[in-house]
Amino acid sequence: MLGGALVVAPLVLPPYYRSLGLAILADVALAVSWALFSGPTRYLSLATGAFFGAGAYTTAVVLAKLPWPLPVLAGAGVAAAMALLVGTLALRLRGPYFAVFTFGLAELAKHTLIWFETGVTGTVGRLLLNPPGPSALYYTVLAVAAAAVTTAAWLPRTRWGVALIGIGADEERAETLGIDTTRIKIGVFALSAAFMGATGGAMAPRWTYLDPQVFNPLVSFQTVIMALLGGAGTVAGPALGAVFLGVLSEILLLKFRYFYMLGLGVMLIVVVLLLPTGLAGLLRRHPR
Amino acid sequence: MTVSPTLLTDVVVGGLTTGGIYALVALGLNLQYGLMRVLNVAHGEFLMLGAYLTYSLHTGWGVNPLLTLLITGPTAFAVGLALHRLLYARLLSGDATESLESRSLLLSFGLMFVIQNAALLIWSADLKGYSYLAIPLRWLGTVFPANRLLAAAIALALGAAFYVYLRASLTGKAVRALMQEPEGARLVGIRTARIHALCFGAGLAMSAITGSLVSMLFELTPFMGLPYTVTALVVVILGGLGNMMGCLLAGLLLGLVETAGVYLASSDIRLISSYAVLALILILKPSGLFGR
Amino acid sequence: MTMRRRAFLKTAAAGAATIPLLRTRARAQGKAVRVGYTMSATGPYAVGASITQAPNYMLWQEQLNAQGGLAVKGEGRRPIEFVTIDDRSEIETAVRFYEKMATDDKVDLMLPPWGSAMNFAIAPVATKYGYPMIGPTAISGKFKELALPYFYTMLVQPEPQMQAVAALLKELRSQGKIKKVAVAYVNDLFGIELNSATGPAFKAAGLEVVDTKSYPLGAKDLSPVLRGFKAAGADVFVGLTYPPDNILATTQAKEVDWNPAVFFTGVGTAFPFYRDRFKGAEGVMGIAGWNPKVKFPGAKEYFDAHVKKFQKEPDRWASAFAYASLQILERCVGEVGLDRPKIKAMLDSTEFQTVAGPIKFVKGENVATPGMVGQWQKNEFELVWPKTWSTGTAVVPKPDWA
Repeated sequence: MLGGALVVAPLVLPPYYRSLGLAILADVALAVSWALFSGPTRYLSLATGAFFGAGAYTTAVVLAKLPWPLPVLAGAGVAAAMALLVGTLALRLRGPYFAVFTFGLAELAKHTLIWFETGVTGTVGRLLLNPPGPSALYYTVLAVAAAAVTTAAWLPRTRWGVALIGIGADEERAETLGIDTTRIKIGVFALSAAFMGATGGAMAPRWTYLDPQVFNPLVSFQTVIMALLGGAGTVAGPALGAVFLGVLSEILLLKFRYFYMLGLGVMLIVVVLLLPTGLAGLLRRHPR
Repeated sequence: MTVSPTLLTDVVVGGLTTGGIYALVALGLNLQYGLMRVLNVAHGEFLMLGAYLTYSLHTGWGVNPLLTLLITGPTAFAVGLALHRLLYARLLSGDATESLESRSLLLSFGLMFVIQNAALLIWSADLKGYSYLAIPLRWLGTVFPANRLLAAAIALALGAAFYVYLRASLTGKAVRALMQEPEGARLVGIRTARIHALCFGAGLAMSAITGSLVSMLFELTPFMGLPYTVTALVVVILGGLGNMMGCLLAGLLLGLVETAGVYLASSDIRLISSYAVLALILILKPSGLFGR
Repeated sequence: MTMRRRAFLKTAAAGAATIPLLRTRARAQGKAVRVGYTMSATGPYAVGASITQAPNYMLWQEQLNAQGGLAVKGEGRRPIEFVTIDDRSEIETAVRFYEKMATDDKVDLMLPPWGSAMNFAIAPVATKYGYPMIGPTAISGKFKELALPYFYTMLVQPEPQMQAVAALLKELRSQGKIKKVAVAYVNDLFGIELNSATGPAFKAAGLEVVDTKSYPLGAKDLSPVLRGFKAAGADVFVGLTYPPDNILATTQAKEVDWNPAVFFTGVGTAFPFYRDRFKGAEGVMGIAGWNPKVKFPGAKEYFDAHVKKFQKEPDRWASAFAYASLQILERCVGEVGLDRPKIKAMLDSTEFQTVAGPIKFVKGENVATPGMVGQWQKNEFELVWPKTWSTGTAVVPKPDWA
């Protein structure tokens, strides 16, 4: 039902609502793919901005050379490769140490890229000429979001999914049970990064001009807010959080120009104090 | 490039002045994060508030910026106690310790939005700033601005004094006990909630005081807080969570690395070098430079 | 009787209430002309937006509505109603809201948001829905590359701007007042484009550039750069800056005891804030475009009205161009109505007279305004180059820091 509605939506909706849908779907994709890894393992990743940026920038570089949607796949690939490297180095860090390491990644990537672009190519950004039309972008983002949601729903039923939960509960114990924790962690981390990269790639044409500022740490924060607000332990939670936050901030922006952040902040505080398990807790009669 | 004594002085003094500021704001964050596992992303917003308060007191009523520390610090302390009472105590007292980190993180985000919006409404987005002691001091064949040296000296003195207080006083011992053995500390009768409230207040006070000092050096905007939160976070992690001496040293070290990067290579390298150093240290030593 | 009296009182009260209403209607008749734009009220762009752009939009609306509104050809004056949203400094949000204004609100006209990055992203929207937009705060050679027919830029673009700086420096050198130039630029599109225009321009002018350094956005310490320039014996500082780093560089130049003969900085120098912050900033040069002494009709009136409404002076660069872009739109609507393709045709073919002087668009770029250099002298940002536009003469070497 919902799926059908989302597919038909851009055909019947006016452009503004299609764009709003596009933005919210992109947020759903980010939040769900974040929770794919960080939900069960409880590793607080702040690398979303880095992977999103890597995907977007890659797309901007190859857009003129490859037919759509290959640039998006290229973005996903680069983000996943980056995640493999980072995962290998960083996934033995725990808790806050992992969070800060991943946060630094977006900044490191941004400044390295600026340094490279100014030093080697003599520019610092890319124009995205002849971008695909709005419907093509919408369906690309919809496809990415759908893939992320499907993966998130399917993964917990697999051996790897069970292992991930084991890692989140007690990593050392999981290891003694013979689970190859490192391989599973890195694998799922890269998978989630691929979705984030694809989201960045699909959204890149909306900017028209892209520079390394697209490696934006705020994207990391926003993703965490959406996922935690919805409840990171479930599949529906992060998606719900993204939709809720997207619709809420749109209303606040349109109705209360000078108080939009205030409204958003108060809403966050209220939700945290009243709903200990996030918005997803509302869906269940008896929260765990 | 040859390393002349003057250059060395420039790097060391420049690095320590930047690092002193980093150390104090990070110490404040470490009190909250290290003790309560509350990642307060609104930490830098209190720095911003301290800076604006000093600005308003100085330009509006002619109060000496240094004297305003006596106002911004205690005010932030009181606000910290209130926030702890109203918001964080509820989370900290609950049983769901595993969701504590994520819920307190969300709470801090909410706080961050509210404070930024409030500052925007009160002070507007226009750049604000003033000159105080922006005079060159000549020393060892080179020059340094008086206000930077003074701000860093005050920051370091406060940081060091606080460290001594933690080592020597009874409350300080309770704080350290809580950090190392929360369960044991509770058993020997340490009043957790009271210590938490005090640390929350003290953490915000340090942030606000840093803000007062920073206002003498840089222009103010309602959005200046978050970068300081991030720097503080990096310093806390470098120094080891809950390790106060490590935090002070890591702050100074980060200042030195950044300044050396700028002098020896270029300014672009500054941010690359600080994050690269962080990444390298964590890879080699996953619990921070001075972590156990 | 009582009933009747009550009814009478009611009617009287209603009548009294309608009097002010009638008056506003008499002043601004007809259906409102709806003008849409987003402006960064929150986030990092809010600082620039609230200085150069937002005040001018509001001033224009207030002035016209006081006269009865915007004169629309064949319809008389219609009040201006703004449809304005905070884009929270987020590009995706701005694009979406411009689409909303075009298709959902169906506004009559649109005004651009603040800053080059935002303008890049909304320029295709303007073109797609056929809304002419004149960007008062968009600087980049890449707008020409994009070649979007409905988007226009007001400000002097990087190349002519740096050629003006080069010409001034060349003359100063021939007078023996300067020798060595050092350049620092902020490491993003703005700084990089200005810097790439600087190289060839300075070379053609035969200037000796002893050092060029870049620094990142949000730099917190520029003293190493400045110390290096001082040690290299530079007597000209060219800083291709944004406001925060501009103020930092100026503060720190004084702190490291460096007072070059020419101290030139980019965005921010033309802000009255800068002058007040540095006790007059006597002798500091910067990118300029306007001051209240220019002889264009309405310039002084614009300055006074801005001060009266906001209790702050307009800046001496982009503000007047933001206001001028609205004057241009006003004239077009007066002559061709709200038919947007006709407005575009008029933009392409007309030379406009504004508070910022004549404006003429060729392929979307204003070519009538030359690159200009200003210098703070006795609390006014005097235009010191080119000589045809100057309101004062360059004072070199600049006096000591105050």
